Amino acid sequence: MTSIILLSIFGILNLFMGFMRSNKVLLPGAMLLLLAVFGANLADWNVVHAPYFNNMLVVDNYTVAFTGIVVLTTIVLLPFSRSYVVAGETNLAEYYALLLFSLVGAVMMIGYNHLIMLFVGIEILSISMYVLAGSSKRDSRSNEAALKYFLMGAFATGILLFGIALLYGATGTFVLSDLAGAVAAPENASLQPMLYIGILMMIIGIGFKVSAAPFHFWTPDVYEGTPTFFTAFMSTVVKTAGFAAFLKLLAVALPGAQGFWLPTIQAMCALTLLLGNVGAAVQTSTKRMLAYSSVSHAGYLLIGLVASRGNLTGDAASGIFFYSLAYSIATIAAFGVLKLVADHRQRDDYAALNGLGKTNPLLAFSMTVAMLSLAGIPLTGGFFGKFFLLAAAAGQGYIGLVVFAVIMSMVGLYYYLRPLIAMYLRPAEEGATPVPVDGIQTATLALLALLSIVLGIVPGFLSGIL
Amino acid sequence: MRPKPVGATFALQRLLVLLRSNLTAMLLVLPAANYQPSDYLPILIQFGLALAFVAFAMIVSHLVGPKRNSTVKDASFECGIESVGNARTPISVKYFLTAIVFVLFDVEVIFMYPWAVNFRALGNDGFIAMILFMFFLLAGFAYIIKKGILRWNEA
Repeated sequence: MTSIILLSIFGILNLFMGFMRSNKVLLPGAMLLLLAVFGANLADWNVVHAPYFNNMLVVDNYTVAFTGIVVLTTIVLLPFSRSYVVAGETNLAEYYALLLFSLVGAVMMIGYNHLIMLFVGIEILSISMYVLAGSSKRDSRSNEAALKYFLMGAFATGILLFGIALLYGATGTFVLSDLAGAVAAPENASLQPMLYIGILMMIIGIGFKVSAAPFHFWTPDVYEGTPTFFTAFMSTVVKTAGFAAFLKLLAVALPGAQGFWLPTIQAMCALTLLLGNVGAAVQTSTKRMLAYSSVSHAGYLLIGLVASRGNLTGDAASGIFFYSLAYSIATIAAFGVLKLVADHRQRDDYAALNGLGKTNPLLAFSMTVAMLSLAGIPLTGGFFGKFFLLAAAAGQGYIGLVVFAVIMSMVGLYYYLRPLIAMYLRPAEEGATPVPVDGIQTATLALLALLSIVLGIVPGFLSGIL
Repeated sequence: MRPKPVGATFALQRLLVLLRSNLTAMLLVLPAANYQPSDYLPILIQFGLALAFVAFAMIVSHLVGPKRNSTVKDASFECGIESVGNARTPISVKYFLTAIVFVLFDVEVIFMYPWAVNFRALGNDGFIAMILFMFFLLAGFAYIIKKGILRWNEA
């Protein structure tokens, strides 16, 4: 709750900071504010709070853990907006404010205990993202991304709302904990078709937001058109918050309808893994590859939902937490390097990375760690993320799904190694100059690489905390 | 004693009686079982009349109306003034901003009414919540004024 209040106030504060003559103070200012939010959030760990606002919002360890991921992700993302500061972007304060406001939505999605709160959270998060997707006003790709994201996102939200309405109609309650009883109650048995359609529509709505197949079709175009800085935010914070909300919905409200949603999620999971990985393998643009890769990671996270079988604590939930963290760290590093390189070399295909190992060893190393972590190579956080999720699934007896996921991560190796080949084996263009990187970006990239490796060597301190 | 109505007058009176009885039935909220399919006859008649009027008006205006054709007369938005240029031109964003400011205060008032009605029941908590709400609203207002939305003379 403190984090929601602080984020809202800081968002407004940021808006007014934009009126200062120089925008140099904005970036460090926003980072400091977010650090304060991060600290305030961690202070709630293991503290028992009564539910807020008539049981609409709960702050427990689950909320604190996932809020921690989204806030940390945003902190390490901010340094890569340096190019906006340097270019004297006039709307920078608004960008930061919108990021903070969308974090409010993300925290509400994580901590909700009431379906209306989930809806409001998703809307706060999404509407900020629609604006930021189109923030590059003169770029027609950015406009395209904003329009596509907005139209399809609004449609998906409508479907989600239909689902909530049907769920309410079938059970008579919006509160998650009451829903669990009402779903299984025999007096509601005659309304089962309505309930199932409601659940299906909610799965569609949230599945769209986390870009799980078959609702992933918007992802590549939107991710490609959106300015890279905000694409990184989309593919980490939105996904983490979306999965936290998804897991909570299935685990707290709908364990009684498991027989219905488990096969659905399993099918979505296999389809997402297939389409995400095969789609990423055929891309020529690094940014589009990362977009499809984010679809495939949604697939791995869906395995966690299957393995959770309606438990908000335990192996699967902890696995989702760990995976989200490792994925966010690696993705921010990958997008950060890509943004720096693309800004300097004016292109974002694989060839843009050619010879980066010679010209910018640090960027190349950072990208390498990120790619290895996303591919799930041992000694990186991504490996243990996959390991925990697949182990949880195998423990529940989903051997077929696990084998399929392992095969798909082999496919993943193919496209995650392509940037590495470009960076280390291909020569840079004639007269290529090193990509300029300033101190704070260097420090952030080093920190991200370190975090990925630490999570891959001693995962114990964060695994199994839920 | 009233004279017995004949012809069209009689039909109209029958119709009025039918409509009135149907209205009475609706107002009294009679149990559904009392309705017969024939009770919906007035609705059908109403539909028929509406359609007939449309057809009548179209045919009569076609037959009676004058027929003058010229390029100006056949223009899409004929109104006496020649249309100039394409309507699909960029419109100053200031109009939208003004509309948004209107929405801001519109929404504010929507929240003020329930508060005013339940002023006592909501007590101090409601008062503090409203003060906070007004503060955020006015912060937004101060922001847009500072952004220069009311400066119409500048480009």
